[in-house]
Amino acid sequence: MSQILLALDTATERTTVGVARLGQDELDVLGTAVVDAPRAAMSRLLPMTETLLATEHLTIADVDGVIVGRGPGSFTGVRIGVATAKGLAHGLSCPLWGVSTLDAVAWTFAYNEVTVAVVGDAMRGEVYPALYRCGGGKAERLTPDRVAKPADVAAAWAELGQPLVLTGNGLRKYAEVFTDALGDDAMIADEDLWAPWANGLFAGWLAQLSGEGRGSGDPADVLPIYTRLSDAEENERIREGLAFASPPESGVSGGEPA
Amino acid sequence: MSVTIRRLAETDIPLVAALEAETFPDPWTAKMFVEELSQASRAWFVAEDDGLVVGYGGTAILADDDAHIMNLAVAPAHRSQGIGRRLLDTLMRAASELGAQRVTLEVRAENPVATALYESVGLESVGIRPEYYGPGRDAIIMWGDLPDAERRPVADDSGELILAIESSCDETAAAVMRGGRDLLANVVASQIDFHARFGGVVPEIASRKHTEAIVGVVDEAMEQAGEALRLDGPLSFSELDAIAVTDRPGLIGALVVGVAYAKGLAMATGKPLVGVNHLEGHIFANVFADPAVKPPLVALLVSGGHTSLVHMPEWGVYRTLGETLDDAAGEAFDKVAKVLGLGYPGGPILSKLAEKGDPAAINFPRAMMKSGDYAFSLSGLKTAVLTHIRHEEQAGREIDVPDLAASFQQAVIDVQVAKAVRAVEETGAVAFCLGGGVAANHALREALTAAIEPLGVHVSVPPMSLCTDNAAMIAAAAHYRYVHGERLGLDAEPSARGPLDTL
Repeated sequence: MSQILLALDTATERTTVGVARLGQDELDVLGTAVVDAPRAAMSRLLPMTETLLATEHLTIADVDGVIVGRGPGSFTGVRIGVATAKGLAHGLSCPLWGVSTLDAVAWTFAYNEVTVAVVGDAMRGEVYPALYRCGGGKAERLTPDRVAKPADVAAAWAELGQPLVLTGNGLRKYAEVFTDALGDDAMIADEDLWAPWANGLFAGWLAQLSGEGRGSGDPADVLPIYTRLSDAEENERIREGLAFASPPESGVSGGEPA
Repeated sequence: MSVTIRRLAETDIPLVAALEAETFPDPWTAKMFVEELSQASRAWFVAEDDGLVVGYGGTAILADDDAHIMNLAVAPAHRSQGIGRRLLDTLMRAASELGAQRVTLEVRAENPVATALYESVGLESVGIRPEYYGPGRDAIIMWGDLPDAERRPVADDSGELILAIESSCDETAAAVMRGGRDLLANVVASQIDFHARFGGVVPEIASRKHTEAIVGVVDEAMEQAGEALRLDGPLSFSELDAIAVTDRPGLIGALVVGVAYAKGLAMATGKPLVGVNHLEGHIFANVFADPAVKPPLVALLVSGGHTSLVHMPEWGVYRTLGETLDDAAGEAFDKVAKVLGLGYPGGPILSKLAEKGDPAAINFPRAMMKSGDYAFSLSGLKTAVLTHIRHEEQAGREIDVPDLAASFQQAVIDVQVAKAVRAVEETGAVAFCLGGGVAANHALREALTAAIEPLGVHVSVPPMSLCTDNAAMIAAAAHYRYVHGERLGLDAEPSARGPLDTL
C-alpha cells in the first residue's frame, strides 16, 4: 500500500512544496512547485499546495504524512513553514517530520561524487555553513549546524585544499568571499539549486533512519533549527561574560520547557 | 430574624428528623440521617433561626460526577422567605466543590412551588417516575448543570462550535466556545517567565515559544471541550464548525505563528477560518461574560500594547474615537515600575503599592485632559515621574514609593475617566466596557464605574481571568464574524497594525 507525502520549506526566500508517493521500495516524487520571492510564504504556501495537489488529482485529505524544512534560515520564514506544517499534520492526524533545510539543498547533489559546501544566509553578516560528502545517491553530513562569519568559514574551507561545490542562498551576498579564498577549488552551483527543492526534502527524509532518526512524528515535537538565541538572550550572554553555546532545542534559554 | 446556613451536625438530627416527619408522608428516620452523615461524598446543611432548625437539605455525589439532591425541606412557618433557595444554592455549590458537574433530583408532581424553585436555578423536568412516592403520587425527575462558570457543560446543543487561537503577544492560547457564549475550554500558556528578566516582551522569544507550545495548547483545549461536552475523549476537529485566529494587531512574528498554524489546520480539516481583531476580542470578553453588554457601547481598551477608546454603535461595527499618541497605559506602568526597580511586569506591583499611597501627594500632569478629543499621551507623564525621581534623589530625599505610585496612577486614571465619560455622553452609549490587561487595575475599574454608572449607563468590567490575553474572548468575537459569513482565505496574512474601524 502506498502513502502520499507532502513536503514544504519556507526557510529561505523560496517557498517550496512537493508531493510524493511512498511505495514499498521507492519514493516517487509526483510533482513540485516553487515561488522565488521574499516574504511570499505566508500568502503563497497553502494556495500553491492546493494547486499542486489538484494537479496530481489529489486533495489534502489524501496526505498521509508531512515533511517540513526546519531551517536554519530566516527565523520568521522557518516558523511560517513549521507552524503551517504543524497545523496541517495536526488537522490530518498524520505524522510530521522535520528535515534540515541545508540537508535538503545538499541532497540535490547526491549522485555527484563531490564535496558540497552549503552556505545558508544567516543575515546580519553571517552564514550557516555545512559540508557534505556526496555521491552514490547519498549526501553525508560532515559538520554540525552553526552560525559564523563568511570570511572565517571561507578561510577554514580553503585550508581543506580540495575542490568544493558551493551552493546555498548565502552565495547571493558572499560568493566572492568564497571564490577569493578557495580560488580554483571553488565551483559555484547553478543558482536555481541554492535554495531547496522538495526533492531534496524527500531525499533527506528518506535517508533518516525510520523510527528514532525521524523523531516521534508528533507535530508538537518538530521545532525550527535556530543555531542562535534571540538578540536579547545573546546580549545577555555577552553582558554576563558567558561563552557562546548552541541554543537548546526550543531555541529559548532559561526556564523550564513549555 | 436572621437565618444562617451551616453544616448539619449529629446533634441536629433529632430536630431534623422531627421536621422530616412533619413534612413528608414517608419520612426518613433519625437512624437514616445518622448513616448519611457517615458516608463519603455527601453534604448536608441546616438553616438555623435563633437556635431553631427551620430547614435542611442534603446531596450525594453519584457515579459519573452527578450530584443527587436527596432531601430539601423548610418548616411550614418559615416558607416563602427564600430559605429553600439559600439551602439549594448551598447544596449546589457544595456539590460543585465535590467535583460534580450536573445535578438531579425528584420532586412531587403536585408540588408546583418546589418545581418552580428548581426551575429558577436552571433545572429542567426530563421525565416522570410513576408512583415514586406511593400509590398515585408521581415524581418529576429534574436535571440541570451546576453553576461552575469556567467549565459549564452546555445546556442545549444549539450554536456553532468554534476553536479559537490567540498568539498576538506573549500568551499562547486556545479556547472552544459554542454559540458565542458557552465556554467549553479555555487554555492559556503564559511565557512570562522567559521575558521577565528582560523587563518586557522579547518578540523573538515570544515567536519561538508560540511555535513550541501551540500544538499542545490546542490539544489541551480539545480535551477540555471533550470533558465539558461529556464525550468519551477529546473533541475532534471534525466536530468544529469553524477555526478562528487573532490576525491583528500585535507582534508580527508572534501573530505569524498562530495564523500559519490556523491556516494549516483549516486547510487540513476543511473548516472555515475566521480572522479576529485582538482589540475586538477585549470588547467581547465583556460581551460573553455579561449578557447586559450590548450596543451602542463605548469600550476603553488599555493594555501594555494599546490604549484606545472605541465606539461600537451596533454589533460588529467599530469606530476608534482616539488612541494613545505614544506609550500605551500598561507600558507607562511597566516603565515607571522598572525605574523604581519593582520588577516585571511592574504594572500590578505598582498598583498594589498605590493602594497604600496618597494619590494627591504629587501633582503629576494630566496630559491631553482638556484636548477636546479622545487622544491620549502618556510619555509626558512618564518623563514627569522620572524627572521627579531624579530631582528627589539629587535633593537627597528618600522617595515615598507608595505616594509616587498612587499619584502616578491617579494621573493616568483621571485622564482615562474624563475621556471615557465624554465618549459615553457624546455617543449616547447604553453600555460601557473596559478591556485589556490594565482592566485588572482595581482603582481604574472603580473610578470608571463610579463616574459612568450614575449616567444611567451599564458598566462592565471583565472577570479578572479574562483581562489578560486569552482565546475565549477571540472565540466570542469570532461568533459574530462567523454568523456574518466573514472568512479568511488560505492566502491571509497577519498585520502588526489593525485599527478596529469598520465605519
